Amino acid sequence: MGNYYIRRTARVFATVFIVTSLTFGLIRLLPGGPFTQLRVRLLRQGVPASEVDARIANLQNIQPDAPLWRQYIDYMLSAMQGDFGESISLGKPVAQVVAEAVPWTVFIVLVSTVLIFLFGILLGAIQAYWEGSRFDKAISALSISLMSIPFYVIAVLALFILAYQFQWFPTAGTHGTDVEPGLTLEFLVSALEHAALPIFSYTIGGIGGQALAMRGNSIQVLGNDYVEVARLRGLADRRIATWYVARNAILPLYTGFLLLLGFRLGGTVILEQIFSYPGLGYYLWSALESNDYPLMMGTFLVITVALVIGVYIADLTYSKIDPRISQGESDAY
Amino acid sequence: MTIESQQLTGADEVEDPILEIKNASVTYDGGDTHVLNDVTFSIERDEIVGVVGESGSGKSMLASAMLDAIPAPGRLSGEILYHPDEDTTIDVLNLSDEELRSYRWADVSMVFQGAMSSFNPTMKVGSHFKDTLRAHDEDVSEGMDFARQLLSDLYLDPERVLDSYPHELSGGMQQRALIALSMLLEPEVLVMDEPTAALDLLMQRSILMLLEDLKEKYEVTMVFITHDLPLVASLADRMAVLYAFELVEAGPRDQIIGQSGHPYTRALLNSTPNIDAPLEDMKPIPGKSPAPVNVPDGCSYADRCPLASEECTAFDPEFQLIEDEHSVACHHWEQARAEIALNFAGADEIGVSKGGDSR
Ligand SMILES: Nc1ncnc2c1ncn2[C@@H]1O[C@H](COP(=O)(O)OP(=O)(O)OP(=O)(O)O)[C@@H](O)[C@H]1O
Ligand code: SF4
Ligand SMILES: [Mg+2]
Repeated sequence: MGNYYIRRTARVFATVFIVTSLTFGLIRLLPGGPFTQLRVRLLRQGVPASEVDARIANLQNIQPDAPLWRQYIDYMLSAMQGDFGESISLGKPVAQVVAEAVPWTVFIVLVSTVLIFLFGILLGAIQAYWEGSRFDKAISALSISLMSIPFYVIAVLALFILAYQFQWFPTAGTHGTDVEPGLTLEFLVSALEHAALPIFSYTIGGIGGQALAMRGNSIQVLGNDYVEVARLRGLADRRIATWYVARNAILPLYTGFLLLLGFRLGGTVILEQIFSYPGLGYYLWSALESNDYPLMMGTFLVITVALVIGVYIADLTYSKIDPRISQGESDAY
Repeated sequence: MTIESQQLTGADEVEDPILEIKNASVTYDGGDTHVLNDVTFSIERDEIVGVVGESGSGKSMLASAMLDAIPAPGRLSGEILYHPDEDTTIDVLNLSDEELRSYRWADVSMVFQGAMSSFNPTMKVGSHFKDTLRAHDEDVSEGMDFARQLLSDLYLDPERVLDSYPHELSGGMQQRALIALSMLLEPEVLVMDEPTAALDLLMQRSILMLLEDLKEKYEVTMVFITHDLPLVASLADRMAVLYAFELVEAGPRDQIIGQSGHPYTRALLNSTPNIDAPLEDMKPIPGKSPAPVNVPDGCSYADRCPLASEECTAFDPEFQLIEDEHSVACHHWEQARAEIALNFAGADEIGVSKGGDSR
């Protein structure tokens, strides 16, 4: 068993290592040679030709004229230390940009995913208890229609109607420009105001799917003999509802929760773009648009690592939470 | 069958019934589907009674009826009377919810069909015992001591079993743990629905022996429900045979094995695998039993019965006493005894002696 933990942890490092190496390879695959574009741009910006190589080295932690293996080692060493070079478009270290962006993205993704699960589980459980009722049918229909609307459609509509037409919410940013970040009420309110629409549009569509999953699980669990036997044993309804039904219905959703958390980080590329919300996804997008490779790699790496770690935690904790799963069954990442 | 005839039958042949089932019927679909049809049967205090029937004949329905626990949306009608002692009668179907809650498991307990699915898979076995004790306001530590005693009576390691999750135990261990759980509140009656179906032959045997010991030690009345006639024949004092949701024969074990009067019982005896009998002697019963909807007029076995006559298809045979404590629902039971030979050695004399090797 200890052996399993070691192997599982080693696999996380191996995955991160491979992904980092791939990002290095990707730069190399870009059309026109590794640094042609960058070089042309620096020259156009008026950087003297003699300094261009030094600037490139500074930006990407790579000596453009060093042999490939040397470049690779340099790149990996600095990436390992959290140094992704300097953003070309922002003129700031990538690490700093990422560090400023990460909390906002984590905030949006975490809150919206937790809300999805809370509402989904609650609705699904009520539906299952009243299976076939009008409430059940209405919520099922609503869930299916919500599931078929992509979150960005909701985001654009919410932005257009609630922020631009009614002006109830700000249209961009993570907090008011006149508010100093800090643990003040003013800042918190401003941050919530700015996050409300992104969270709302990122939550509403996801609830349907979770409600349907929870409903299905609960109905399946309710049909199990052990629920009937618990009733015969005289257990109180509340005890049965929580420990015999809900527990067994929610457990299978748990891994999904952590995985979703990871995958939804990726979705922020679109979400944060719509709301001009400077988080990870926002910077990944703008890096793509401005050919800002260091920033691109940095944000891409952080998102990937977060996903890998999400799966890792899911894997390690699931066997703790669900006694039926013995360790070493999952082979993901 | 008329109600008057019911009152003259096997039910009254039991001297000191602990549980009386009177005209119990279970219907689904607002009365259109009969899955238990007018069953009248009594269980004597301190006996082991075996109920036999093929798959789908209504065995589980009968078991659930005894606890007034028919799966929704089924409707149970008739009467279930429980006698905690000779002079007290409890009308189970008229108990309040709270009274029913304490009647179940504490007075009449049940081992559900399929032990594997009777435990919550994400809860330790021990928690199931504690939950049950708390639900019945019992002292938990005293109750757990009793649970340990029961488990060791069943040759299980109490600490290990209580501290395990259900899936960590083998099928036989789960089955025994479930029996211990059902005995936890020292019930007067233990209803067991196919308690050995999922086990291998050796395990079935040893569970039967354990059950006999349990019965002696804790003086519990046992209702053993199974599709396996020879299995229960080695254990039961009395037996009842269900066919197509109705009781077709009931009586003392030796009577049922050796002197059965119903063609179905005789066919069942002949169709059960017998280790001694050559394969060609085994006769599966031709035809199939009727579906729960439209139970036919007349005898429900008429389609498959070699003795079926016009009388059989026109009139329901009454469930009548043919000799001491032995009741049969057949117009031609005497003919059946004479014409349907039993194909195992010693049959028609006394059957197989109790506890002996009936296989
Ligand atoms: N919930 C239900 N709704 C309608 N019919 C049902 C339901 N449960 C069982 N039945 C029907 O009732 C009849 C008797 O079922 P029961 O479970 O008592 O059979 P059984 O003798 O216990 O069979 P087995 O040996 O397979 O356990 C069957 O024909 C079955 O199809
Ligand atoms: S009543 Fe008739 S059909 Fe039914 S079992 Fe007896 S002989 Fe056969
Ligand atoms: Mg059954």
